[in-house]
Amino acid sequence: MSEKNNLSAVERIKTSSDGLRGTLKESLDEGLTGALYEDDQSLIKFHGLYQQDDRDRREERGEKKLEWLYSFMIRLRLPGGFLTPEQWIGLHHIAGEHSTGTIKITTRQTVQLHGILKSEIKPTIQSFNTLHLDSIAACGDVNRNVTCSAHPKESAIHEEVFQYADKISTMALPKTRAYYQIWLDEEQIADKNEEDPLYQDRYLPRKFKVGIAIPPNNDIDVLTNDVGLIAIIENNKLKGFNIAAGGGLSSTHGNPNTYARLATVLGFVNTENVLKAVYEVMTIQRDHGNRSDRKLARLKYTIDKFGVDAFRTELEKRCGFQLEEAKPYIFTDRKDHYGWKQNHEGKWYYSVFIENGRVLDDEKIALKTALFEIAKTGKANFRFTGNQNLILADIAEADKAAVEELLIKFGVIAHTDDAGALRKNAMACVAFNTCPLALAEAQRYLPSLIDKIEPLLAKYSLQNEEIILRMTGCPNGCGRSPAAEIGFVGTAYGQYNLHIGGDRVGERLNTKYKDSLTEEQILDTLDELFKVYKAERKAGETFGDFSNRKWIITETEKELQLQ
Amino acid sequence: MRLDLFSKNYKLKRINMIGEARLKELHDFLNGYSKEELVWINGYLSGIVSNGLTNGSANSNGHDIKSAATKKISLAFGTETGNSKKLATQLAAAAKKRGVNAKLIGLDQYRLTDLSKEEYFFIVISTQGEGEPPAPAKKFYDHIHDNELSLPNLKFSVLALGDSSYPMFCKTGEDVDLQFEKFGAKRVVPLRKCDVDYEEDAMEWFGNVLNVIENHSVEKPDAPQQQPVKKTTGKKYYQGTVLANINLNDRGSNKETYHIEIGCDEVIEYEPGDTIGIVPQNRKEVVEKIIALTGIDANKVIQTTKQSAAVLELLTQHLNICYLLSSTIKKYAAIIQQEIPDTRMDLVDLLRIYPVKDAVQFEEVVKILMPIAPRLYSVSSSPAAHGENEVHITVARIQFLAEDEQRFGLCSEFLGDLPVDSAITFYVHKDKNFKLPAADKDVIMIGPGTGVAPFRAFLAERDATGAAGRNWFFFGEQHFTTDFLYQTEIQNYVQTGVLTKIDLAFSRDQQEKIYVQHRMLQKADELYNWISNGASLFVSGTKDPMSKDVENTLLQIIEEKGRKTNEEAKQYLELLKKEGRYEKDVY
Repeated sequence: MSEKNNLSAVERIKTSSDGLRGTLKESLDEGLTGALYEDDQSLIKFHGLYQQDDRDRREERGEKKLEWLYSFMIRLRLPGGFLTPEQWIGLHHIAGEHSTGTIKITTRQTVQLHGILKSEIKPTIQSFNTLHLDSIAACGDVNRNVTCSAHPKESAIHEEVFQYADKISTMALPKTRAYYQIWLDEEQIADKNEEDPLYQDRYLPRKFKVGIAIPPNNDIDVLTNDVGLIAIIENNKLKGFNIAAGGGLSSTHGNPNTYARLATVLGFVNTENVLKAVYEVMTIQRDHGNRSDRKLARLKYTIDKFGVDAFRTELEKRCGFQLEEAKPYIFTDRKDHYGWKQNHEGKWYYSVFIENGRVLDDEKIALKTALFEIAKTGKANFRFTGNQNLILADIAEADKAAVEELLIKFGVIAHTDDAGALRKNAMACVAFNTCPLALAEAQRYLPSLIDKIEPLLAKYSLQNEEIILRMTGCPNGCGRSPAAEIGFVGTAYGQYNLHIGGDRVGERLNTKYKDSLTEEQILDTLDELFKVYKAERKAGETFGDFSNRKWIITETEKELQLQ
Repeated sequence: MRLDLFSKNYKLKRINMIGEARLKELHDFLNGYSKEELVWINGYLSGIVSNGLTNGSANSNGHDIKSAATKKISLAFGTETGNSKKLATQLAAAAKKRGVNAKLIGLDQYRLTDLSKEEYFFIVISTQGEGEPPAPAKKFYDHIHDNELSLPNLKFSVLALGDSSYPMFCKTGEDVDLQFEKFGAKRVVPLRKCDVDYEEDAMEWFGNVLNVIENHSVEKPDAPQQQPVKKTTGKKYYQGTVLANINLNDRGSNKETYHIEIGCDEVIEYEPGDTIGIVPQNRKEVVEKIIALTGIDANKVIQTTKQSAAVLELLTQHLNICYLLSSTIKKYAAIIQQEIPDTRMDLVDLLRIYPVKDAVQFEEVVKILMPIAPRLYSVSSSPAAHGENEVHITVARIQFLAEDEQRFGLCSEFLGDLPVDSAITFYVHKDKNFKLPAADKDVIMIGPGTGVAPFRAFLAERDATGAAGRNWFFFGEQHFTTDFLYQTEIQNYVQTGVLTKIDLAFSRDQQEKIYVQHRMLQKADELYNWISNGASLFVSGTKDPMSKDVENTLLQIIEEKGRKTNEEAKQYLELLKKEGRYEKDVY
């Protein structure tokens, strides 16, 4: 594709938005449509909302001469994914009053609500505000929600590391008061200084994600972030972070210039310098990122255009200090530790399995009611994991029995224990019916597909293998399927590319193995793969490592031989 | 919406032959114009060039372009993301500026059988991921691929939107273009494929389209046809067919409002503002039950006071068998010589409880039955916009059923249940007063609920005829999401400028109930302004309480804004009535 030197349309919208205000107020008052004016649809992302519509209903509504059923998704800014029980209770009520009722835990440790009508946006945001929660910069071309390894039992200094998620999030907040004025009726003070040295008036060229991992668990998939920080702990003291940059999983079907990429570790920074380093990565991206083609605008392309060494040099120049050589670290897994766990202080944690992060009451389990009842006891905090699950956290020894009683009463423990290993390590993005980008189903379909894959695993006695399987309805990678041992990427309704060969801990991406498979073809292919894996694997070899060695590397080698 | 076209690298190179200074002049001159206006100017200039008029005398020629008879084209869009729709809307507005009436239609709403009637048909359509059509256009796409059509009179062109980073770039547009060629249609402008930055290409394509339309002489003048002399005796009944029958309310609504399109082989003589009368048919099952209960020969011809016909036809099409009047039941009692208490009920129940002696006795009963009363509906279509061979109505379920009938049970077929292709008999009831004023006059329409019907007709008519007067519509219903009748059509009228103003009142979307009269009060100044400048007022919908609340509100506005006493305000409204500027169609 030829390099276009003109700015993309979104760039004009940003710079002429008067600090992300645009015509949002007028858009909200426009009664003729449930949608916003076009430019405002881009701007509202910076306020943490997406305009969507119920794609299942388009055809029927069209016949009725009604416009699409527009509604909005709101995503909270929750650095590190933490809510008090009072906040969970509030969220529970807001979901019921203004949205579809389902609370969706995202792959980036926050929650989002769907189906909010235009007229309900303001009341929703105002309700969140009373809980001291906001959605500022949860979407849009800015630093998004900052993730952090979720389970406090991982380290005695979890709390200290966790603070950095909040520090980075606060540092990278846009300076405009637009959010407060539009949604919370704050008065606009004419000459109030809104100068934004980080974002200026053009913000970033594209979304920007930061995550912090505490080894040995890579539960947040740190290398899939634009900036990944790996906490370096020596003698129970936080020394600093290895800083990695240039991760991002999205690509575009048929566009060879786009690709998924894991972040490259650039070096080590101490705790004093880490915020500055993250900040300056953002300024480089702001100044050098591609602003003409949004498909090529993420930091990963900027870094590859620079070259890693040149990028490091530029970063050091902007920081005014050198990066130290990266410190050794090791990741051993990427999963959530379900069930009861205790931390160094003796506090208890219960990790609840929540399939694809969807908290609702269904015929199988009244999960939403259960969590609501637990929240009402006030005995547990709520932490979200990067795998779309939930940790009931910080429970005192004396309170554990009361929480457990409710977990048993509502069948939460049985629900968590009974789910198979594949299901518990699986993840899917939202896709249909609300995501405008979806080409195929994901969260609505994956549970039933796993129902059909589980017997295949059992056939080869592989049902306890903790294989990481992920599905996304398009190649944009919200469900992080390029970083899975088995990855499905939707290509058309009912069809998925099959990717294999990613490793278990998130340090090697997978590779496309088959194009556009139907369900029947998926099952036939996996049956064959599992059979060979069972027969030929080395002791302790994961499915991802085996399939990489067996099918991916050899394919590449064959190609090399042919050339 | 004004676009700074020059900041987007609009191709200035081409006209650089006039030199920097003059180019700058031109640049400065054009910079204030909207995109639509520039498209018009583009056409205007090309008109000048093609007529060889380059020296000053352009004015009179320009006038000709604008005042030429309105030409009609259909502009259909198939969209997944909304881009095609947005673009088509812009194009339609641009067409209007050049005196071409573009009927804007979403392919999801397009009636496939209309294709053979189209003259100029232009399509804006996108392509999805692997070369598929956008979901809302799939029905249309399948129709033209699964059927062998013959469209020798159709003139068409396709604007294909796509993303060149996908291998099947603009595939759907290519497919549609090819199919139309196969059907014998004439491609008047070549297929144009556009990438993600489509605006410039699209405008150029449409400029070509409009040039073709303008250079093509109008075959039949749009002057009103000589009305055939009307027969004064009796009503003219039309035998029609249901072409479409759609419940306009979405799932979860408290309402059911049916949009029914009726086609007819002969020309239907009607105008917006008229009503049609439909005689509902009794349910087949009920009629069969009656015949079985009485043992009468269904083919036996009986002479009633009004006509002579077979029993089956009489019971199905002509005679009321539902909820008989107590006077009819008294006559029935006399025939069968039994005591029947003073009551009302369906014929079928009467026959069950108080059976007739035999078929012969039932013949007597048939003769005392009252004819089925026709139901009147305001037409919601315009011959100029929808063709002379069809008429549309907008019917709420509750409006169809008399209150008693609902409670008592149902023996007549409800229009909303009529499937497509059903036969339907109707006549036109002319309304002399509820008529659009002269084309240059302003119109204020107040029509909540099914009151929208005549105004859909008005707007379509004004759109199709290019009437210059301004239009203001007040609409209300219960809920925005489920009850915004004709929402997409109304949005199109707003975007193309046919509707100058619209005010909406959805009564149950908030705590306090908001109705159209509340919106009128909010706009009192402007409303009074329109009225005192000669606008005509129309009210349509339920008589009570809507039309009364609206009238009181009007009086209040006239009183306050016109600084009149209550009595003077009433006189003012009376005067409007006399002048035919305040008309009601209420029920």
